[in-house]
Amino acid sequence: MNKALTSLNTFFLILLFLSLIFSMFSVPNLNIDEAQSIKINFYELIQQDEKLFDSSAPNTSVEKETKKTSAINKKTNTDETSIISKFKINKLGIKNEITKIKLSKEREDILRVSAIIQERISSIWIKPNSLSESLIAKVLINLAPSGEILNFSLIEPSSNTSFNESILTAMNKMTFFEEVLSLERKLFEQNFRNFNLVFKSSGEIQ
Amino acid sequence: MIKFLSLLFFLVSNSIFPVLEIEILKGSDNLSKVAFVPFGIESGIEENYGSQISKNIEKNMLLFGEFENLAVNEMLSYPSSENDFYYRDWKVLGVDYSLIGKVNSVNALGNLNISYSLFNINRRIKILEGEIVGSEDNIEGISKIISNRIYEEITGLRGIFDTKIAYVINSDADTYQMCISDIDGKNEQILFTSKAPIMSPDWSPDRKKIAYVSFENGLAEIFIQDLQSGERDSIQALGMTNSAPVWSPDGKSLALVVSFSGNPDIFLYSMNNKRLMRLTNHYGIDTEPSWSPDSKKIIFTSDRSGSPQLYEINTKSKRKKRLTRDGNYNARGRYFPDGKSIFFVHGNDGNFQIATKKLSSRYIETLTSTSLDESPTISPNGNIIIYATKDGSNGYLGGITLDGKSRFSLPVKSGSVREPAWSPLLN
Repeated sequence: MNKALTSLNTFFLILLFLSLIFSMFSVPNLNIDEAQSIKINFYELIQQDEKLFDSSAPNTSVEKETKKTSAINKKTNTDETSIISKFKINKLGIKNEITKIKLSKEREDILRVSAIIQERISSIWIKPNSLSESLIAKVLINLAPSGEILNFSLIEPSSNTSFNESILTAMNKMTFFEEVLSLERKLFEQNFRNFNLVFKSSGEIQ
Repeated sequence: MIKFLSLLFFLVSNSIFPVLEIEILKGSDNLSKVAFVPFGIESGIEENYGSQISKNIEKNMLLFGEFENLAVNEMLSYPSSENDFYYRDWKVLGVDYSLIGKVNSVNALGNLNISYSLFNINRRIKILEGEIVGSEDNIEGISKIISNRIYEEITGLRGIFDTKIAYVINSDADTYQMCISDIDGKNEQILFTSKAPIMSPDWSPDRKKIAYVSFENGLAEIFIQDLQSGERDSIQALGMTNSAPVWSPDGKSLALVVSFSGNPDIFLYSMNNKRLMRLTNHYGIDTEPSWSPDSKKIIFTSDRSGSPQLYEINTKSKRKKRLTRDGNYNARGRYFPDGKSIFFVHGNDGNFQIATKKLSSRYIETLTSTSLDESPTISPNGNIIIYATKDGSNGYLGGITLDGKSRFSLPVKSGSVREPAWSPLLN
């Protein structure tokens, strides 16, 4: 009995491990706009889905099929069902177009708000002088829907104390990101309720 | 087991729902604002001491343009202890850091006991607290020590307010003076005066001696002068002329240029056995050596390729490497204290500017915007470069912080100031 339980345990462990590997490969780490230095992985994922929604091909085939049916006028039952299903596809295509427009609007909104947040932090962050090494630190921010910063924490500090201190000082100067008020609630919850600020110093001599 | 499963779940869920990340690469061009509150005094102590100390510290901290201050008459309160300190009084004035302190006592020998605290206003925390005892005749020295500690706390870099600078003053057509002073220009000392040119001063790592080139006997000769006793010794190297002496950071040798029958090459001169060892041997001009911080390599200028360019040589293997290729004039190279980058004079269309280059990168970057810059020297904390430049025919010392936020000129001396050399830190 014990043996059976242990092997069942092992089986579940392997299953979980495989699901971890699968999830790591199936969700790509993506960049939306390198120039603006804003990484929004989630939306690139949706972008890939958009490719699946590409409705131009089914549309033309439906048109052709419609002409064909009107010209011949008589067809078997199977033909009729195929026409109905293709009409459905056409409908789906329109729906997808709407989704596409909606998504690109959402994408634009996220980029706009992210760019404002980036600019506001940059304008108050006093980088320590002469950082000759490349540094990176990550801050997790929890926002209220009003834009109020409820909490922030340096979840991945850099190796340089002054760099970390300068980030904490800058974060303490911020109290609100009221820009999120312009977002739809769903969009806020998905993207800005919790988000990361990644502070970087490339070790450049300016 | 439960822990393991929850960790797995966390990893899986994390990779399925990635969090929005916004990258911040650029910082603000603003400077940190510091309030230097006049220090309090216990009754019975000379009243001026308090304000004198805070004023000195303020002057030091503002010397290189790295900070902004809050004027005393704009302050809402003048606390001298933590109990009287309210963050809101400083927050409303946009202050980032606030320094308070107090002269607590003075003993029979005239030694002052001073305590001080530094607050980060935005984070609402005390970031530094200290106490120092020093003579009332040395308030400047005490202020420098406190300034260094504050600077280190805020920037994470070593304080440089007790460093010195060596330079040559050419007061009239045929008078040259070898001088040293504190970095703020105070306490100037003339080490040597000559009717013939003086060049290339360099500090020994222990800050007790200075090596320089003097033409007093008609030819370029290297002298080492003891700062305590004032004694001068010339290095009896072989060859026609000896020039451009530079101490190795470990203090064991001098890199210098020796010219046999008009062909200058780089040599090492051992301070222990007084022997000379050849490093380069080329018919081109090899000059202006400078040591890497680990004393293993030397950067030098050579025209072996047809124009002055910078090369690096390993002092053991003598393997050479060309470091610069941009433009037809790159000279007077020096390493940054971390040894990863160099700075030098870059000539372009008759303009000579200070430039920097990461050794790992192909690109150079010009730092200065004046056009006749020469002899750059770097602060021992690697944050500030001082160089000689010209305003008409008058030479003065300009400076720039490496983040480019601050450009300044050091107090003007009478006469043309040239060849600055920043002293090392005292350990």
